[in-house]
Amino acid sequence: MKRLLFALALATATTTSPLRAASDDEVAARKLALEVAGAFSNDGFKIRDGNWGGKFVAGKSPLIQVNLYAGNQYWFTVGAAEAAKKVAITVFDEAGKPVVTDPYADTSVAAAGFAPANSGPYYIRLELAEGTPTAFCLIYSYR
Amino acid sequence: MIPTLRILASGLAAVCLCASAAGEATPLTPEEIATATKTDDLSIPMPGEFMASLNKIGKIDWTKMFRPPIATNYTSREQMALNLGGLIADGYVAIEAEDSLQVKNIGKDILAIARTLGVSKDVLERGGSIANFADQKQWEQLKEELEATQNEVKTAMTERKDSDLVTLVTVGGWLRATEVMSGYVAKNHTDAGAKLLRQPGVVAFLNKRLGGLGEKVRGDATVAAVQKKMGELEKLISFPLERAPSGDDVKQLNTLTTEVVKDISRKQTK
Repeated sequence: MKRLLFALALATATTTSPLRAASDDEVAARKLALEVAGAFSNDGFKIRDGNWGGKFVAGKSPLIQVNLYAGNQYWFTVGAAEAAKKVAITVFDEAGKPVVTDPYADTSVAAAGFAPANSGPYYIRLELAEGTPTAFCLIYSYR
Repeated sequence: MIPTLRILASGLAAVCLCASAAGEATPLTPEEIATATKTDDLSIPMPGEFMASLNKIGKIDWTKMFRPPIATNYTSREQMALNLGGLIADGYVAIEAEDSLQVKNIGKDILAIARTLGVSKDVLERGGSIANFADQKQWEQLKEELEATQNEVKTAMTERKDSDLVTLVTVGGWLRATEVMSGYVAKNHTDAGAKLLRQPGVVAFLNKRLGGLGEKVRGDATVAAVQKKMGELEKLISFPLERAPSGDDVKQLNTLTTEVVKDISRKQTK
């Protein structure tokens, strides 16, 4: 796991999109997300190698579709750069209804854990609740 | 790295603060759902996730899911990309089966195709790691290595302005994984197993990507055959949420995915 985290952090230091260099904020956001997800991995969760990064924009909440399997357990973790003072993460089912999750939040990082009852598409919404719009990075883990 | 205990302690406090907030979230509107971001990196599950869910249903003999070795010297780059994805899915099957030799052989085939596609420099080192982990039977590390290998291949393709090939690697991997999983469920049908095969979001995403491929790539005979059958698959795999797919539904899905995986590995004739 340490090997993977090192590789992921190294990759972030070089690029987020393959075609451009990552900013310091993007690197910080991903590092924070990986730190928290790394703790979940101690409980047997595998961190996916991919991630979704971007920048919070005032008045807009980034939303991404993921496709999950019933029986698996998942943790979604968002990290943001220091300018974000409070971030939140909400999971919705394919009909757009919020699902109950185990939440974790600590200033610029938040996570939501749950085990889907049905396989299919789900939606992850990220919110900047307090602070200045800055870079975010979402990763997920499963077991 | 933050110690687990610190996380858990903070987490417990956070649960108290946030549990009610989760229940108060407003449902998404259809417009929000329609415009949600979909990315290759996160929206498409890795074969390992699929297999992890199936492993929870029962003890599976993954060695029965092996297929005979496929060619690695296709003349079409598009066909090679599709087969590269399929081989990566084969790698996950071999890891689940805990078969070191199979993992190493598949690793070699992955490298052979990657080399022909001109991305081997980026993954050669990974190839060596795969062999080492296989020798040491470090199965969890192998899964990480395989996913990282796939992502490095895709990154290298993107850097070489071969983004269309990235889509084909993803499609090839998803098709082979679905063939394996549907084959198992077809032979050992349970409602829980069959429900795992419901993936309308994935197929819709992949079909949209296939529709956006460049004209030359879409003109490739194998890609054209895949695109046609992926259209049929989208209808097949959109099982209703409330009902588990029947044995016949699953068999139909398996027949179609088996056909298309064979099409992909069959050498084109001029």
